[in-house]
Amino acid sequence: MFNDKIELKDFEKTDPEYQELLRRVLAIQADCEIGGPNLYVKDILPNAPRKVDQLIVARTAAEEMDHYRKMARLAGDMGVDVSYVLSRSNQERYVEAFRGTITTWEDFSVFGFLIDRVGRFQLEEFIGASYQPLARVVEDPQVIREEEGHIDFGTNCTAECAAKGGEAKERIQKSVDYWYTKGLDMFGKSQSYRSERYRYWGLKRRTNAEAREQYTREVNALIEKMGLQIPDPNKGRLYT
Amino acid sequence: MGEGMEAAPNTEVLDEQFKEFIQALQSAVSRAMPHIKDDPKVVDKAIEDCKEILDVVMEGNVSEWLK
Repeated sequence: MFNDKIELKDFEKTDPEYQELLRRVLAIQADCEIGGPNLYVKDILPNAPRKVDQLIVARTAAEEMDHYRKMARLAGDMGVDVSYVLSRSNQERYVEAFRGTITTWEDFSVFGFLIDRVGRFQLEEFIGASYQPLARVVEDPQVIREEEGHIDFGTNCTAECAAKGGEAKERIQKSVDYWYTKGLDMFGKSQSYRSERYRYWGLKRRTNAEAREQYTREVNALIEKMGLQIPDPNKGRLYT
Repeated sequence: MGEGMEAAPNTEVLDEQFKEFIQALQSAVSRAMPHIKDDPKVVDKAIEDCKEILDVVMEGNVSEWLK
């Protein structure tokens, strides 16, 4: 295992595999951060149920933009320009969950409940990372706190829809079914060579399977508490 | 910056541009939140401002921002 602590000034001296993995993960992270607002701003900002919700959508987008900025800055300082992710279409995003559009309040709510939660898991991977500038970004409580704010809002809205019963509950169940699959896939393949290399180089803490298992336990308990059905974890999956 | 290590072009400029976008959004939201129940004009204006800023960001026309 690699136990060194790397600063920007040391980056060029590191192993090429380390450099490649770090460049890759920062590009993907930046893409995901800006990918969220690109999914929901267009339709949800003007059509959120109440004005306060519209403001929350705008604030959420601003916070995700700031997370993008921080990742883009880390990459840029290493000589990697990730600004191409700002102008690409949703269909070109690295991660499948960000390739569509969100047009309903139910999908926006569940996106916060389930997908922002995966985002929190992914940011937590970098706590204590060997690359110190990255570790410092995620160890600053602001980033995780903001992500938790998005998750809590999404979770509360999802629970409210479920509690209404009837058609509202059916609609939110449909959204949970859709995003649950996307969320589980976001952890990648359980047998992933690259995931092992990230761990070897001290860039991630958990295996894909471990992180997915912890996530599943967390969300299943919440879905049940809301009186919704836990979706089939194998249905429609791309990565297992 | 490390010895011989060069940042990607426009890293600083884009970082500053994003800070401006984010600050403008946060300022609009903060201005409106306390008036959510008592001043619809302030709230509507803030939402309109947010839409305008976010339209620019979502458009992602980076070369325009660098001019």
